Amino acid sequence: MHAKSPWVFLAAILLAGPLLGCAARPPASDPEALEAYSQTNDPLEPTNRFFYQVNNALDAVVLKPAAEAYRYAVPRPVRNVVHNALANLTSPVLLANDIMQTKPRRAGDTFMRFIINSTAGVGGLFDVATGLGYQAHDNTFGTTLALWGVPDGPFLFLPVLGPSDPRDAAGYGVDIALDPLTYIGQGAVVTDLKYARYGVSAIDERERVLDTVDQIKKTALDPYATFRSLYRQHRASEIEAARTDEPRSVPAWFPPSPAQPGTR
Amino acid sequence: MLTRRKLLVLAGTAAVLTGLGLPAQAQAPDSPAAAFVQRTGEELIRALSQSPSPEARSQQLLQVIDRTVDVDGLARFCLGIYWRRATPQQQQEYIAAFHQSLAHSITGRMGEYEGVRFAVGRSAPEGPDTAVQTTILRQNNPPLQVVWLVSTGSGTPKIIDVQAEGTSMRLTERSDYTSFLQQHGGNVQALIDALKRQAVQQG
Repeated sequence: MHAKSPWVFLAAILLAGPLLGCAARPPASDPEALEAYSQTNDPLEPTNRFFYQVNNALDAVVLKPAAEAYRYAVPRPVRNVVHNALANLTSPVLLANDIMQTKPRRAGDTFMRFIINSTAGVGGLFDVATGLGYQAHDNTFGTTLALWGVPDGPFLFLPVLGPSDPRDAAGYGVDIALDPLTYIGQGAVVTDLKYARYGVSAIDERERVLDTVDQIKKTALDPYATFRSLYRQHRASEIEAARTDEPRSVPAWFPPSPAQPGTR
Repeated sequence: MLTRRKLLVLAGTAAVLTGLGLPAQAQAPDSPAAAFVQRTGEELIRALSQSPSPEARSQQLLQVIDRTVDVDGLARFCLGIYWRRATPQQQQEYIAAFHQSLAHSITGRMGEYEGVRFAVGRSAPEGPDTAVQTTILRQNNPPLQVVWLVSTGSGTPKIIDVQAEGTSMRLTERSDYTSFLQQHGGNVQALIDALKRQAVQQG
């Protein structure tokens, strides 16, 4: 009974949060402020700011100390190996999204990276493929939805998951459903391993942005707005990179022929 | 068959060793703006590597920044719709505070750029300005794609924005400032005071 109280508290704030309400829409007499309001596209700002605070508090006591301990205890080459292994495990989801976006070049890169790094890279521990010209890229079902013409919707700051929007939040769920590892195996050990993967990958990602996040929190006057802007811009550039990927250009690893200068 | 495979492995190893995926270091700049970015980058690296003391290094760095970056224009851009709402005196005070804040955030991160190298890539017109692509190589870090937006309108080229991996510095800063101002009832003086407070804290 006593052990449950933090969860009751968490459930209470999760339920109470959305009731905090919406950002006040500026009056029509102030067209500049109104334009800024619609550009920001954050009608749930008070709620989002509330969850930003909650996540910050959780981060300060759980994820950040874990990431700092990880950085302190594990040398960089080993952390790189861990990161490569985790990245290699996401290949099936990447490939599925590359294909659904009808991007043969990117799908080919993902496929070759998976084959090369799983074999020559000793089960994904080393990223041999990048040196061979198969560049890594990120992909999510959120990006797939964007290329299919689904709009992003208002900004959302989700508990635990952080900055998002309805399109990316839906994409996150679909990516989990697309992951074969979600369905493989059974039994307590496999289940534990699956959770361990989520845990390690959260610590790995947090460790990689420790300095950047500290820097932003130190220099930004309104860190929430800064993270909101960075998230939006980052997603827009990822989507643009996927959209403009040129399928017919010569791959980077292909030897250039002197008679016919390639586009790269 | 065996020799062919051996050759492929050899070629692969050579590619790994020489970093085939990276853009060529010595590529001729394809526009005046690209040449300007090349020059500026070399100056910045020289400022970072040659001076003996950290104070002299940051001094030199700021001199190069002042000469090559349109800091006043950047400051005006970052204030967004509030620029015209500020009094002339506030505008001046704000620009001074912005210079301070930029100097602090640049010299504060100097350590991250030890042993930095860069390669200038393609440039393309973006509206009246030119966007110059570069790849920044730092030790122990993946290569960073950075686009420099260069304005040539005034005759002398000036950097007006830096976009790292698709995120624009001036857009991020503007949304930081305008959001702060929205939280503070559009009071530009509150922003100036906050910038000054920050400079004191970090200084």
